[in-house]
Amino acid sequence: MSTSEQTGTIHADDGAVLADVAGMLRVILDEYGPDDTEIGMDTTFTGDLELESIDLVTLAGELQARYGDRVNFAEFVADMDLEEIIALTVGRLVTHVVMCLNSPENSPEAG
Amino acid sequence: MAMVHTGDVGLHVQRLPPTGGRPAIATAVLLHGLLTDSLASYYFTLAPAFAAAGVDVVMYDHRGHGRSERPATGYGLDTFVTDLEALLDRLELAGPVHLVGNSFGGTVAFGYAVRRPQRVAGLAVIESEPATVGWAHKLRGLLGRVEAELSENETEVLAWIAANRGPHTARLSRSAARLVRATTITREIPASRVLSEDRIRSVRCPVLAVYGAESDLAVQGMWLSSLLPDCRVRLVPRCEHSVLVEAPGVCRELILPWIEEHRAVTGAGAELR
Repeated sequence: MSTSEQTGTIHADDGAVLADVAGMLRVILDEYGPDDTEIGMDTTFTGDLELESIDLVTLAGELQARYGDRVNFAEFVADMDLEEIIALTVGRLVTHVVMCLNSPENSPEAG
Repeated sequence: MAMVHTGDVGLHVQRLPPTGGRPAIATAVLLHGLLTDSLASYYFTLAPAFAAAGVDVVMYDHRGHGRSERPATGYGLDTFVTDLEALLDRLELAGPVHLVGNSFGGTVAFGYAVRRPQRVAGLAVIESEPATVGWAHKLRGLLGRVEAELSENETEVLAWIAANRGPHTARLSRSAARLVRATTITREIPASRVLSEDRIRSVRCPVLAVYGAESDLAVQGMWLSSLLPDCRVRLVPRCEHSVLVEAPGVCRELILPWIEEHRAVTGAGAELR
């Protein structure tokens, strides 16, 4: 994990999760050919990266593979309409992932 | 990403099991529309709420669409119905399932309900109709125009879409243009075998038909109710064809209770994550 492990708990921070998510996005973007768009917290999935909604489904699968059930993209977007989802920024997703990973419910002791 | 090979084509499948690991109250297979559509339209609208309500949700990209394979030929309606049949076999979903179809996805669902009536617990269609002579004529005109515009001035068409409909629609349109260019879809769909009224009448399962009140297709609701023994029609105010995207909450509120009302005991099926 690129998230830092501390005694008994896993502590995730924005920088580590951003690096993870950016890596996932690079793999998805590679399918469209070479792309050197910088990926930061303010980058939008659709406006900047020009991703399709089906790419976000792929991203959801990558998040599941990386973080397991601790992060559920489908639940994260469940209350958003499609316009809001495609206007999402990388930063909003990163913040959500960090919150999920640092949630007491997701600590190893919580079982 | 899960790819399921039917023996003929690889289909991209996403499955959302009931949340919390509880037993499924029903299985719903969600079928998307043509060209610019994919399973993402469900993944971000109906699917999470269905799974939260205890429905085992199966979504897939039709051949040529989304992340499914894109063979050069094989785009008649019967082939799409065969894909659905083969997919349910591969997933070992032999029990009756609920089919939810948006636009062309509903046309595929009607085709399957006619072919395998015992395997369909219910049919919920959004802005859709069964394959008739009129449907084929309409699709011939629509797909012919798409092909002509793209072949004559694809760059200008896509630039106009980007400027007037936004970057996401532009990206979807670029994918649709690839599908139109690389396959026979625009010629094969209008040439599909259609259903007689008698065959449409053979659909005995409960049907829920949802239309945008402002859509040209809304009149199909009256016609369907006159043909089918158990057909409920609902119109969504101020919506046209894109009801699912424009009013996902209304679609959820209409379809989910309807599935709960018509729930059927189904097997758990093969595990797919």
